[in-house]
Amino acid sequence: MERAEANETPRWMARLRDLWRTNPLFSTGMALVVMIIVQTAALAMNSSFDSFGAWFQNWLQNWISLLRGNAGIGIIALGMTFVIISGGIDLSVGSVYVTVGALLMVLLNTGEGGWLASLGLGGVPAIILALVLALALGSLLGEGNGLLISYGRMPPFIATLGSMQILRSVTQYFMKTQKTELPDAYKSIARFSIGGQQLMPILYWALLAAAMYIISQKTTFGRYVFAIGSNERTTRLSGVNVRKVKRRVYALTGFLVAVAAVIQTSRIGSMDYASAGSGFEMDAIASVIVGGTSMSGGRGSVVGTVLGTLIVAVMNNLLNLIGVDPYLSAAFKGAIIIGAVLLQRKEKA
Amino acid sequence: MTLEMTGIYKSFGANDVLRNIDFSVKAGEICALLGENGAGKSTLMNILGGVLPADAGTVRLDGRQVQFRTPAESLDAGIAFIHQELNLVNDLAVFENMFIGRELKTKAGFLDAKAMCGRCREVFARMDVDLDPRAMVRDLDASYKQIVEIARALLMEASVIIMDEPTTSLTGPEIERVFDMMRTLQSQGVAMVFISHKLQEVMSVCSRYTVLRDGAMVAFGQVEDTSVDELARHMVGHEVRTESLRQERELGPEVLRVENLSQERRFQNISFQVRAGEVLGFTGLLGDGRSELFQAIFGSGGRYQGQVYVEGRPVSVRGTPQAVELGIGYVPRDRKENGIIKDMDILENGSIVTWPKRVKLGFIDWKDVREAFDRQAAGLKVKMDSPKAPIGSLSGGNQQKVVLAKWLNAEPKALIFDNPTQGVDVGAKEDIYDTILDLAGKGVAVVVLSSEAQEIVRLCDRALVLYHGQVQGELSGDGLNDQEIMRLATGGAAKAG
Repeated sequence: MERAEANETPRWMARLRDLWRTNPLFSTGMALVVMIIVQTAALAMNSSFDSFGAWFQNWLQNWISLLRGNAGIGIIALGMTFVIISGGIDLSVGSVYVTVGALLMVLLNTGEGGWLASLGLGGVPAIILALVLALALGSLLGEGNGLLISYGRMPPFIATLGSMQILRSVTQYFMKTQKTELPDAYKSIARFSIGGQQLMPILYWALLAAAMYIISQKTTFGRYVFAIGSNERTTRLSGVNVRKVKRRVYALTGFLVAVAAVIQTSRIGSMDYASAGSGFEMDAIASVIVGGTSMSGGRGSVVGTVLGTLIVAVMNNLLNLIGVDPYLSAAFKGAIIIGAVLLQRKEKA
Repeated sequence: MTLEMTGIYKSFGANDVLRNIDFSVKAGEICALLGENGAGKSTLMNILGGVLPADAGTVRLDGRQVQFRTPAESLDAGIAFIHQELNLVNDLAVFENMFIGRELKTKAGFLDAKAMCGRCREVFARMDVDLDPRAMVRDLDASYKQIVEIARALLMEASVIIMDEPTTSLTGPEIERVFDMMRTLQSQGVAMVFISHKLQEVMSVCSRYTVLRDGAMVAFGQVEDTSVDELARHMVGHEVRTESLRQERELGPEVLRVENLSQERRFQNISFQVRAGEVLGFTGLLGDGRSELFQAIFGSGGRYQGQVYVEGRPVSVRGTPQAVELGIGYVPRDRKENGIIKDMDILENGSIVTWPKRVKLGFIDWKDVREAFDRQAAGLKVKMDSPKAPIGSLSGGNQQKVVLAKWLNAEPKALIFDNPTQGVDVGAKEDIYDTILDLAGKGVAVVVLSSEAQEIVRLCDRALVLYHGQVQGELSGDGLNDQEIMRLATGGAAKAG
């Protein structure tokens, strides 16, 4: 029977079909490849063909700025991946982002009202102190979510919906009339240039993605996250401290959001409290879902999320290149999410 | 109506699941379909129910050849399939469940609750059961849920009802209630297929039987001409043990002692102790509180009053990690909900308890985990392709063995087994019993909770029978037998001395 089948379809096709069915990352990767091809074609049409070298430069620049621009969301999506695999959701990432950003601003402001400057602290020590405090604040806010969810037994959606509102509103109230100037040394966290290119945000993203991948596969914490998302009762009955794991998932996400806030504030040099971070939760969730992680928990991957982030990013870039009205870009994003989930459902059947 | 299946073949890939099966059931007949897990019972019934197509063979209804492409077609022909996992919505009333998808409506297009309740009452009257159509399904006990499923089948005018292990989650009196109703329907000319592992029940309710083994039909005939032992032999293919497995063992020091443990509405004033090397049984009917009691002891059952001692030291267990730390293990009941993690592979399911012990430099040492698991899997005779396969690819018995493996590796001082052989075939059952006795032989204090009196009698040195959350009596030696357990479990007084 096997021989008969081999006659009908070549073996490589059968193998591809198996991969398509069994490995969820494969179809996500294929989708990304297709998008990159289209994007490259669009870029080719947009640029003049003086020389291949010039065209390649253009292509590379486009990619670097694309990756750099999406490093923040990419990092937040890494945390969101763990949250969603554990069966939860974190709507507060955008608000934690703006809150941590605001703290960085008031701490480091070199103009009027900068806390560290007014304490006489400056230079590298002030920056390090600000970084430690910012990362600690992010983790603490995440921990707060985690406590509400694990010990307060609140549904994650509700707990983080609440903290999302509280954090953004309080931050905006206190930051109404802040004008900020950031020290140059701080800005170089993201702007430090390698070979004439600002690659640091991409580097941070890649390192964190690698670290999160290893955590997800090789540590008890990482595997417990999967176990809890798949069957919380069984996991608890296997002697796992489920509450502690959940708390740490949200704290970790808070920490990653703080890292994203550091990178983005140092890259942009300022923060618009009215709009910064708004919609981040949806962008991060979209990246995770497009990357193949199951909304009901238990299944998913860090690699998938990186691919998912890239798919959304490449699509935005593509729409930009072919000149689609920005008002329409959200519609395409929505279509991508729905399409990705439809695609993944087909595999399971 | 007469249903006949002849010469049914079915294979999945290279795997022949059914080979030349004949099966038939007539009006007014209850036919047992027997076989271990994986013997092909479900596949055969899925073909009948329109879920799967047969590769070869014919299905005839009253002599007319039929072919079902979808479950709906099969249902239209009058064949209803009641699955092991009940298909009821807990948050809806009985009548809403019975009419779900085919609601009766008034002329204005609103639901006609009155008419639906009326139809339900007619069906209940026919079945001779007293049930309020407006009761919420969540308030029904398990037997009435089963009855609602059967009533739904009747409402759809099914003349053949297939029941897949309908008694798994029922207690003694509840099983009787379902059986009475089955007999009533039998006298009204309904044909029924009864799929079960419980041979005693088959003997008491069925008129004919068919036994499948490894996809082949190995025996069939009239129930009155056979015996439990013979049926069991057909199912397993060799002699089965029904003899006592109790053995003389040197008992060590006390491992677990419980004094006056109470939890509101669940259990009251429970005291007992287990020594190393002892097998202590707990049994009773549904609602006796034994699972709740041991979940509380294991730290996952909420607050309780009273005192627990582990190796003589008073402890208060506040969570499962602490229980594991203290050397207590718990193999839970309801494998699907509490035992396995469906998205993880066999290896992970069989090792999660011991991960923290096998961490090197912050990372799980998977090689070490794998070696430890392989040792247990071999001892338990787990049948699997690879430990990296999904847990769902295993049969129920093998899944249960994997759940056992994770606890064996934790090397607990006291191990609690809650319904350890629920939904497990005869062969795997014996393997699990061997494992339990082996543990006791190695000086582990073993507690076995079971609703099967036979299991307690065969395995345990001593048993406590619970009734409504209280200890009704303690049995040991010759006093530990089916009759005494039944008497105490139904509220009979303990004999003096």
